[in-house]
Amino acid sequence: MVGNILITFALLASVFSITMYYFTYKGYDNALKLARAAYHATSISIIGASAYLMYAILNHQYEFKYVYDYSNSDLSVGMLMSTFWAGQQGSFLLWLLLTALSGLALLEYTSKRGNLESRVMMVFTLAVTFLLIMVSPGLKNPFTLIWSDPTYIDLKNISQSFMSLPFINDFLFTDQSSGASLVLINEKLAGLLASNGISINDFIQFGKGLNPLLNNFWMQIHPPILFVGFAMSTVPFSFAFAALISNDYKDWVTSSLPWLLGGMMVLGLAIMLGGYWAYVILGWGGYWGWDPVENSSLVPWIVGVAGIHTMLIQKRTQTKEHAGRFVKTNLILSILTYLLVLYSTFLTRSGILGDASVHSFVSPGMVTYALLLIFISTFTILGFGAIIYRWKYLEKTFTSEENILSRELALFVGAVLLLGSAAIIIAGTSMPIFGSAVEISFYNEMILPIAILLGILNGLSLLINWKKTSEKTLIDNLKIPLFVTFILTVVAVVWGGFNDIMAIIFMFSALFSMVINTKTIYKIVKNNISYIGGYVAHLGFAFFMLGVIGTGWFTTEKQVELIQGETKSALGYDFTFTGYTPVDNGKKYKFNVNVVKDGSENTLSPVMYVSDFNQSLMRDPDLLNLITKDLYLSPVSYEDAKEASGGEHNHQTTLIKGEPFEFHGSNITFTKFNFPQDAMNSMQSGADFFIGAVIEILHDGKTYTIEPKMKSSSGVKTFEDAVVEGTNLKIELKNLDASGKIEVVINELSKTDEPTKEVQVAKGASLWVDISVKPFINLIWVGTLTIVLGFFISMVRRTKEAK
Amino acid sequence: MNNKYIFGGIIIVIFFGIMGFLLTQTNIKYEENFVELTKSDATIKATGSWVKEKNYEIDRENNIFSFYMKDFNGKEIKVIYNGAVPNNFESSTSVVVTGKYKEGNFYASDILTKCPSKYENEYEAAKKTS
Repeated sequence: MVGNILITFALLASVFSITMYYFTYKGYDNALKLARAAYHATSISIIGASAYLMYAILNHQYEFKYVYDYSNSDLSVGMLMSTFWAGQQGSFLLWLLLTALSGLALLEYTSKRGNLESRVMMVFTLAVTFLLIMVSPGLKNPFTLIWSDPTYIDLKNISQSFMSLPFINDFLFTDQSSGASLVLINEKLAGLLASNGISINDFIQFGKGLNPLLNNFWMQIHPPILFVGFAMSTVPFSFAFAALISNDYKDWVTSSLPWLLGGMMVLGLAIMLGGYWAYVILGWGGYWGWDPVENSSLVPWIVGVAGIHTMLIQKRTQTKEHAGRFVKTNLILSILTYLLVLYSTFLTRSGILGDASVHSFVSPGMVTYALLLIFISTFTILGFGAIIYRWKYLEKTFTSEENILSRELALFVGAVLLLGSAAIIIAGTSMPIFGSAVEISFYNEMILPIAILLGILNGLSLLINWKKTSEKTLIDNLKIPLFVTFILTVVAVVWGGFNDIMAIIFMFSALFSMVINTKTIYKIVKNNISYIGGYVAHLGFAFFMLGVIGTGWFTTEKQVELIQGETKSALGYDFTFTGYTPVDNGKKYKFNVNVVKDGSENTLSPVMYVSDFNQSLMRDPDLLNLITKDLYLSPVSYEDAKEASGGEHNHQTTLIKGEPFEFHGSNITFTKFNFPQDAMNSMQSGADFFIGAVIEILHDGKTYTIEPKMKSSSGVKTFEDAVVEGTNLKIELKNLDASGKIEVVINELSKTDEPTKEVQVAKGASLWVDISVKPFINLIWVGTLTIVLGFFISMVRRTKEAK
Repeated sequence: MNNKYIFGGIIIVIFFGIMGFLLTQTNIKYEENFVELTKSDATIKATGSWVKEKNYEIDRENNIFSFYMKDFNGKEIKVIYNGAVPNNFESSTSVVVTGKYKEGNFYASDILTKCPSKYENEYEAAKKTS
């Protein structure tokens, strides 16, 4: 109740705030106070609702369906807190909360800058309103009570002490497919419990728990940071819209730039953390899989970054009377960044990507789907509608000047390249809407040439001055960096043994950018450290590209079987599997692998376990960070020690009646059971009996029939082996299943016509692992963090300028 | 008309041309009907469900994981995958395999398992009363 009252109140207050801001804009100055008060009331209610949900989670109030669905009493406090955003409802609330908080800062910021506040806050609060509708009762509401829709929950989650209640039996059911005992929780049961003075929070003892993929540290930080980025992306949209309303395009760039920088810094960090999470925990092996969900948050980032570049030009070219260049571009990009955030949300939450992505949400239902569409449409119509409305004026007032060789032009081309890559990614990512998908190669092939051009351009642009540069100056400036880059490229190519021309060009491009940015940073860091932000970010991008070359072209991988106690060499390392140790109270197992190279010894411990949550085998990789490369160990499977193994080639399988099984060129078919009437009578009377399994083998064009038997003697079952005369096959019967299946081990005997040559060798426990060596993967992380640092330095500078 | 618009226009046309071409080249269709699947030799994303009655097999020597998958009509197909059993496989309600159909088998290069419980709970959808 409390939660929904707060949400509803916040919703009403936000609508009131928008109205009052509108009146303020229309000139009713006394409405401003009300607008502010209403926005503060909205924020406080949202904070209150969020705190209430957190309280409910921490206190295991399973009366809330959301708490029951995503958390459990055995989670640590940190993980318990992160279940706040484990599902659709809670993550919408988190996004809303962070948007509301950003709004408080934005209100403070705009209130000090002319008459910006009413125009900016009007549209910003509208975004808050939409998110509030999203979490309203009846939609993606985290405060829905568990009995409001009849729900079957597993009996084991119910406190056993209430099982003796007389009315409980009316609510017990059995799921016929899984055999699980379920309790129907509905309004009637809730009423009966209440009339007996039992709280539903005591009645339900456990929740469903958190998906093991989410149950780790990164879950605690990645989603909140991502949503801060999403929330801050609302701000440039609001500024652009405010500029369009007042038809004044000069100051908004200065006010908006620090927010865009901040938003893209946070969003970039979040995307990187997501990649790191996939790498170290989820065991995807890489940091980026071009998964539609990853892509959809990358696209707004790229567009936002393109916007930063063109906004810098506008600021740079501003004069007292002129707003500067690329006014239209900046408006469009600021609006587009937020629209793409909404589009990303739509793709991941509408269920469209259900079959295409590893981690999208399932379909949220028609109403939410429609609301998401209305959300996007509204902001698209607002943003682009305003641009179209002002287009005549914009077109007339801001005609672009001739593009001469200048840094402005270079920055603009850079922005165009970024937008090109964004177009590529969004095209590939949107394919599931049309019921298909693209191969990963689409992205790699399309993006690579753009990345090469970006690296070169990035270096070149720093050699070109603002306004105008003569070609001669450019060539003079170019000589030394080009020479250094050339030497470095040759060294890298020879040392690394490059054999792909694209990789060499890419290497050159990355090094060129690195050399020039390093030189520039060195030159200006002494004078004014606050000016190096852009160069630091570009240096980070160069590092990142080098990391991509290392991992993309030079990763080596191999799958090996490690037998306990035996040392095996692979990819230049010696691996010894030493056994496993239970962790987490025996719920998980660490598989310890000793890794030796050049006398240095390390232990890697990938983890495997069967999760209670989904009864599935889960695997966590482990890695060894060797500075210049990572040794990455991903577990595949484990087999206990075997006492003795059978023939040289054997294969255990289940044969189904009438279905041929192919084994090394032979077709093996189990045709029927031979179960004569007298054997059946013997079985029923408890005497000894046998059942034969008739198996036909098609080998080299001939058909052979064998009939190994199961014999039951004094209740002890034994199974026969049968050698297929004329072939090299021996079939061992292992088990029968009356439903028409048999389990067999098929042996391929050695061709020397020797009879069964049993290899009675005991085999140690074996661990299969995927081993890979990823050179310079650390440059990926160092590069991204350097980019983030660059954004931070720039943000500080631009915030000072916006005063 | 300004030269730079013509130049820019040409670049944009070329860019989208290449993109469109590569999009069709790397396009992967979804197929829910396995009868259709067997008629094509292109890379396809087949969606269906694992036939639990027929156990999956793991051939460790050749690192092959194979299982049977059926479509909504119950048409079955054998899937052969070079790799380990994917996470969440046993509890999956539906499976999306990417690969090619060849001579009676579907050779998968990627397996995606969808679990109802993954993010959202759909236990209720399968509810049964006794």
